[in-house]
Amino acid sequence: MIALHQLTKRFGLQTAVNNLSFEIPAGQIVGLLGPNGAGKSTTLKMLTGMLTPTSGSATICGHDLLEDPMAVKRVVGFVPDSGAVFESLSGLEYLEMIAALYGIPANAARERIRQFIAFFDLSFETLTDKLLGAYSKGMRRKVVITAALLHNPPVVFFDEPLDGLDANAAVGFKALIQTLAKEGKAIVYSSHILDVVERVCDRVIIIDQGVVKVDGKPADLVAEHETISLERLFTSLTGGDDLERKAEDFAKTFRS
Amino acid sequence: MNEQLPPASKLLQKLYLTLFLRGRSSRGLKKDEAPKSVASKLKGTLAIYLLSGLLALTFIGQPPFLLSLYLHGMTLLFLGMFVATTAGEILFNKDESEILLHRPVDPKTLLWAKVAVLLKISLWMACAFNLVGLFVGTMGDGGTWVFIPAHLLSTGISAIFCASSVVLLYQICLRWFGQERLDSLMTMTQVVLMIVLVAGSQMVPHIMRGMKDSASGFVGEWWIFLLPPAWFASIDQVLSGTAGRPIWGMALLGVGVTITVVLLAFGRMARFYHEGLQSMNESRPSKPRKIAKRRLIERLADLPPFSWMLRDPITRATFGLTVAYMLRDRDTKLRLYPGMAPIIMMPAVFLFQGGSDSISDFGVAIAGGYLGLVPLLALNLLQYSQSWQAADIYRVAPVTGPAPFIHGAIQAVGLILVVPGAVILTTAVLLLPGGVENIELLLPGLIAMPVYALIPGAIEKAVPLSKPTEEAKSGARGGLMFLFMMSALIVPSIAIAAQKFGYLVPFLAIEALAAGGVGWFLNRTISRKKWDALE
Repeated sequence: MIALHQLTKRFGLQTAVNNLSFEIPAGQIVGLLGPNGAGKSTTLKMLTGMLTPTSGSATICGHDLLEDPMAVKRVVGFVPDSGAVFESLSGLEYLEMIAALYGIPANAARERIRQFIAFFDLSFETLTDKLLGAYSKGMRRKVVITAALLHNPPVVFFDEPLDGLDANAAVGFKALIQTLAKEGKAIVYSSHILDVVERVCDRVIIIDQGVVKVDGKPADLVAEHETISLERLFTSLTGGDDLERKAEDFAKTFRS
Repeated sequence: MNEQLPPASKLLQKLYLTLFLRGRSSRGLKKDEAPKSVASKLKGTLAIYLLSGLLALTFIGQPPFLLSLYLHGMTLLFLGMFVATTAGEILFNKDESEILLHRPVDPKTLLWAKVAVLLKISLWMACAFNLVGLFVGTMGDGGTWVFIPAHLLSTGISAIFCASSVVLLYQICLRWFGQERLDSLMTMTQVVLMIVLVAGSQMVPHIMRGMKDSASGFVGEWWIFLLPPAWFASIDQVLSGTAGRPIWGMALLGVGVTITVVLLAFGRMARFYHEGLQSMNESRPSKPRKIAKRRLIERLADLPPFSWMLRDPITRATFGLTVAYMLRDRDTKLRLYPGMAPIIMMPAVFLFQGGSDSISDFGVAIAGGYLGLVPLLALNLLQYSQSWQAADIYRVAPVTGPAPFIHGAIQAVGLILVVPGAVILTTAVLLLPGGVENIELLLPGLIAMPVYALIPGAIEKAVPLSKPTEEAKSGARGGLMFLFMMSALIVPSIAIAAQKFGYLVPFLAIEALAAGGVGWFLNRTISRKKWDALE
């Protein structure tokens, strides 16, 4: 479903993503992990056609990212971490506009929107009457997730999708992506909340400084590296050792 | 039943028109109260254009070609200024690229939708300005009712030429200089455009004055073929059926150049726009800071009078923040410097006006007056930012009102714009023939400057970077600024009269006393201001 071959992105002299290669089959949920600046968002932006790779190649659902980026864009859904929306549109105006860009007729779009708002426990009145700028962060995130799934894409990229969602919505969302995966969608889930990734994802890829550090099932990786959790494995691979001492040093600076 | 979906270009045009009418942020905005049409959104601006259009009445009885030339010259000036100041923000918006760039939207469609909305708004402005001229054209020497549809058509073509030229200019810059320097490039492009337009606006009256009695004498001269207003004025003549061969040539040139510019901007060069959009998503590593420049600013801020003004830590922090945005933030630079370009150009225009051997006392005094206005205009523009919501942090700080933030911004403008401006202007006056004799006429403007600097804070709490960018486009605000600019001419004019009668020194003393009193009052007004409740 998704295949990357030596995908590379350079910004000037800095290499953000360096020869990234992996494949993701249909129905798999892959957690993409890494510290800040590891290259996760750059990778997702390349795979969604927002950035052109410097070198390497990628195919999504058989469409070449460089040869036919529009075909790729039609088959992917993307929830960016910024959660950006047009604030002065109402939720319904925004979602109908997005649906129309994917060629979904208005009636069908409205039916799908009704299903999503029922799932996310949003009222239709809120969606029609309030402008997106007046939504809470969680409500806005629900609209962004809905906008990514409206066209029923076979491949979905989530970048910190739980940011702002309340506990119920987060539980519901985790169930949703597992259902979507069972229906055959390939899902890439980028997040810093490691325990959620550990529970939800079939496979984890940890990248740091643009290169893959480990790739495998969470339980297998933990066992293979003889550690107690994915969190420990992550910190040991990405230079996050000795955090307790650093926290103690930090706290000391505020003590008189 | 199959529903017919509108094409993506129509959808996007509807989207951008809605965003223009409602603005991109929604704080304080109610959906039902948002403007529903361009006319209701821009009523203040359109009224100003309509009033400006009354000047066409002075062309009654003149040849229609001359009227057309004037109307197209001024239309291109107004539209050029509007498109130049808004195009950067509309064409390249970071949030928007996160929303739309991963959707199946062709960059050409996106570009065309944006430009179509720009054109629609431009045409409203052009029609408001040309309304009176349309009827004046039917009354001129040999004018008929055909002038009305002919001029409407040529105005449409000139609006397309204007918008497409600005887009093409961006693309050429992206092609030549690459996306790495997009930010500074866009600012530079807009500043240059504004300077060219302002310089052009100063040329129009001179050309008109020279042509009024002998319009036909200029037709056929080689240089008139270089003037875009002449191309579009010629289209009026051709459509009205009163054109000779040179006029036909200019009309065809106008149509040809417009078609070429459109084909290039939306065809061959469109890919450079796509690359520019992509660069919005790049999280480039920051270049090594220009440490020398930063240290220089810090050193200057440590010198009197800035060190006296920046003793308060909040004022000092706001000073640093404002300086950083003035020097580094793309959005701020795109609004500030092109917006300031006309007022920075005006002193030069006044100094060199007349073209005689030495500069006039009037030129020096007015140049000083305009320099005095720099902080007023700059502080007004610095209130707006795409990241305005981050300014809510000011309210979280344990400070009862906006005063220290306003003072920090004033000092930043003083250091970055006023000091260099004053040095350059004073040096220019001293070096120009006749300048030494009139150097004291810079003082009235400079004495009034602190008062102008306090006005934005006292009137509307000009807290830096705290308001959505859409609010900057209010017609009422433009009108208010226009009034202040007019008032800036009054003090220097009185100073010239005082100098003529030998009372300049007493006048300066009185002005300094008055400025001190008004300044004290405005400062007290700012100190007593409290934060408004967040909506």
